[in-house]
Formats: sequence, C-alpha cells, structure tokens
Amino acid sequence: MTSWTPSKRELERRRVRQDMQRQRVLVASIATVVVLGGLTTAVLVSPGWPRVRESFLDADHARAVLPAIVDGFWVNVKMFLIAEPIILVLGLALALVRQARSPWLVPLRGLAVVYTDVVRGVPTLLLVFLFVFGIPGLELQGLTNDPFTWATVALVVSYSAYVAEVFRAGIESVHPSQLASADALALTRAQTMRHVVVPQATRRVVPPLLNDFVSLQKDTALVASVSIFDALFTARDYANYNFDYTPYVVVACFFVAMTVPLARLCDWLARRVARRERAGAL
Amino acid sequence: MEGRGLRKTYGDRVVLDDVSLTVHAGDVVCLIGSSGSGKSTLLRCLDLLEDVDDGVIEMEGREITDPRVDPRDVRRDIGMVFQAYNLFPHLSVLANCTLAPRKVHGMSARDAERRATDLLHRFGLGDHVHKHPDRLSGGQQQRVALVRALCTEPKLLLLDEITAALDPELVGEVLDIVRGLAGTGTTMVIATHEMGFAREVASRVCFLDGGRIVEHGPPAQVLVEPREERTREFLRRVLPG
Repeated sequence: MTSWTPSKRELERRRVRQDMQRQRVLVASIATVVVLGGLTTAVLVSPGWPRVRESFLDADHARAVLPAIVDGFWVNVKMFLIAEPIILVLGLALALVRQARSPWLVPLRGLAVVYTDVVRGVPTLLLVFLFVFGIPGLELQGLTNDPFTWATVALVVSYSAYVAEVFRAGIESVHPSQLASADALALTRAQTMRHVVVPQATRRVVPPLLNDFVSLQKDTALVASVSIFDALFTARDYANYNFDYTPYVVVACFFVAMTVPLARLCDWLARRVARRERAGAL
Repeated sequence: MEGRGLRKTYGDRVVLDDVSLTVHAGDVVCLIGSSGSGKSTLLRCLDLLEDVDDGVIEMEGREITDPRVDPRDVRRDIGMVFQAYNLFPHLSVLANCTLAPRKVHGMSARDAERRATDLLHRFGLGDHVHKHPDRLSGGQQQRVALVRALCTEPKLLLLDEITAALDPELVGEVLDIVRGLAGTGTTMVIATHEMGFAREVASRVCFLDGGRIVEHGPPAQVLVEPREERTREFLRRVLPG
C-alpha cells in the first residue's frame, strides 16, 4: 500500500461533513424534545389528568397487586413458551403440505387450505371459547378438561394458520431459478424443499415470524375471558374488588417489557438479512 | 467534467489511486482494463454513487464532491447505464422510461410519454412499449435502460460495461445505439471490454490497472502502439491472435 496523506481539500471536506453531521444531530434532538414535550404537556394539562392519575397510577395499589400479577403473568409466559415451538412446527408442516406435489398428499393439501382459510377467519377469542367450553362438552374419554390446556390449543390452532401463510409466502418468494438448478442437480422434490427452498425461505421470513410471536405473547391475555387466572384476569379481579385500574397499567408494563426485547430482535434480524442479501450487489 | 487526484478505498484495498480524468463536451472516453482495475468504481464516483476518499470532481466548473452539494442535483444532468440493466421489474418499459422525467424533471406525463415512445421507436423497441422488462431479451432490456437514461436529456452519459452481460449476438444491437449517440456528439464515459468498439467510437482511451490510469490518449495510439508494457500485456491477453 502506498503511503497516502489526505489532501487539504479532503481534510476540509471532512470538517464540513462533521459540521453537517453535528447540525443533523442538533435538529434531531430539538425535534425529539419538542415532540415528546408536546405530548407530555398535552396529557398533563388535560382536565381529567388528576383523576386518571389517581385511578390508573396509584403506587400503593401497584405494590399491593404486584405479587398476584407476577403469578398470573407466569401463566401467560408458560402458555406462549409451550405454544411457540408447536406453532412453528405445525405452521411449517402446513405450508409444506400446501406446496407438496405428491398425489398421495392431495387430500391433505385440501385440508390444509380449508384449515388456514377457516381458522384465520375465526376471531382468536372465539376459538378460545370454542376449545375451552366446547371440547370438554363433548365428554370424550381420556381428554382433559383443563382450561389452560385447551386455551393453549386454541392459540396454537389460530397462530399456526397465520404462521403457515408466512412460511408459504417465504417459500414462494424463492426464485424459480433456484428450483431449476435443484432440478438440474437431480434432487427430489423433498430434497429440494429440505436443502434449498426452506433454508432460504426461513431466513427471509424470520422478521414476520417474530412479528406473529409478539402478537401471540399479547394474545395469551385472551384466556382471561375464560376465567384462567393469568395476568389480565388477576388484574381485572383486583380492579373490580378495589375500584382502581392501576393493575391494568401494571399488566401493560409487563407485556411491554416482554415484547420490546423481541421487537428489537426482529429489527436486528431484519437488518442482518438485508445486509447479507445486498452484499456484493451493486 | 474533470476529476483530479481521485482516491477510493474499500477497507485496506485501494481501488482508485490518484486518478485524474478530464471529459470535454462531445468527448467519448473509453475506460479499458481488466476486471477489478477500477473502471466501474471510477464511473460510480463520477455519478456520486460512491464518495471519493480524496480528490476533486468538478462539473462545469463547480466542485460536486463538496459535501454541501446535493448529489441529486448533479445526477439530474448525468445518465447512467449499468451492466445488469437494473430496470424496475414492476413497471412497464414505458413507465421505466418516464419515471424520472415526470418525478424528477417535472415533465408532464404526456410530454414524457411522447419523448420516451419516440426514443423507444427509434431504437427498435416500438413493439415493447407496454411490456414489462422481464419479458424482453437481454439486448432489448439494455436498450430500454439506455432509453431510460436518455429520456432525461443528460449532459453526460456513463455506461458501465453495458454489454458484459449480453450474448455476443446481442452485443451488436446495443453498441449500434451507442455508436449512433457518439455520432451525434453525446458526451460519454464508457467502461468496456469491447476493444474494437472502443477503437471505433472513442475520442480518448484510458487504460486502468490497479486503480491507476496507466496510459491514456487517442485510441490509435493506446490500442495500437501502446507505450506502456502493462498496456501491451493487457492487449495481448484480450485481443485474439
């Protein structure tokens, strides 16, 4: 490498760039302060603010309800920790069945289509009702009547339909030339899916998948409607008993604390994929 | 347009090293040299698609490498065509060609379409005006890309190895257009591997090697009686026989 010292002009340009950068930072800071300040003031000067603060942001009530909500929130966490892996597997399986070309799988393919269409059309809350009250109502031998189990099943059923569509979009976004070159290497259709298409598709759909999971984490609160003592039901119980809404705010904070890291992870993954796909392409 | 002492590095790799180049109105400058010699990078720097690490580029007496200059202002007057066509696949051929005239140059839709259609017809693309780019052959796509660049009436046209991705039999139809443009006095800087073509249209040829302009001059001199050993070596490799 030849030795090189920046010319005077280049040094001057760097100075100018630095100044411009400083200016941008300044503008950004001012804009942020103005917007946040404006929003805060609007809330603080609103006529009902003192009452809202009393009934939604009461520190004593928050402290009192906290242990119960932690217990309830554990139910939510357990639910999505169990549901998420099952949804991933089931969603991918559904998407693959829809893409399958084997004649043996035609009936399954039809079922998969109907499944996604019907399940996605039914509100998740309704599915929770149907599973928690309906299935025990069948009085089948050997099946549990545990509402927690059936609420989890309802979430799995609902979200696997969404996730299947996400996977399908990813599978279809893989360029046909990839299929052609896999065909040319004499891979079977299953091998092509396993080694060529699905790896590429999965990488591409990670951000929307995580998006669905953030949504799932919040929807675990739907089980409050069938009287499972999750975080929301606990909060509602307390709120009705004490005429104070602070527990709702506490629960909201719990959900935010859980979903924000996942959302940041989404962004980071999306950026990484974008960088990798653009790398080398001019 | 004039570039002086241009330098560009990617990490430790020096891609352009003290490159100076002057392009007068009506000039056709051909950049030759092996892959990785810096031809494309030089073109991209001239269009401000890359920031130079040192040196000055002036256009019509104004320094365009000044950070306060809005690159979009500069690019309004420059047309660029890429090796891989880079047409917008979701737009028809006509929409590809009228996008910039309408949105950047404030031309009315009707005027833009008239000019684009006119140019497309002139370059033998009259039948494909309403098709989408992916339905065309490579040669046709590259001709569309040329039309798209010309629709904004640029003062300078930068062509980055525009025939490198084409079948040999399609190269001719694209080069014919460039030849025609050169004949009508269009100012161009062309990175190319087509030595015969360079010899024919260039008013000046620059041979780049390792990020430096090793030799430059009229094509009859650089391509036929090169002074530098490295130029001779390169020409021996690319010219058969």
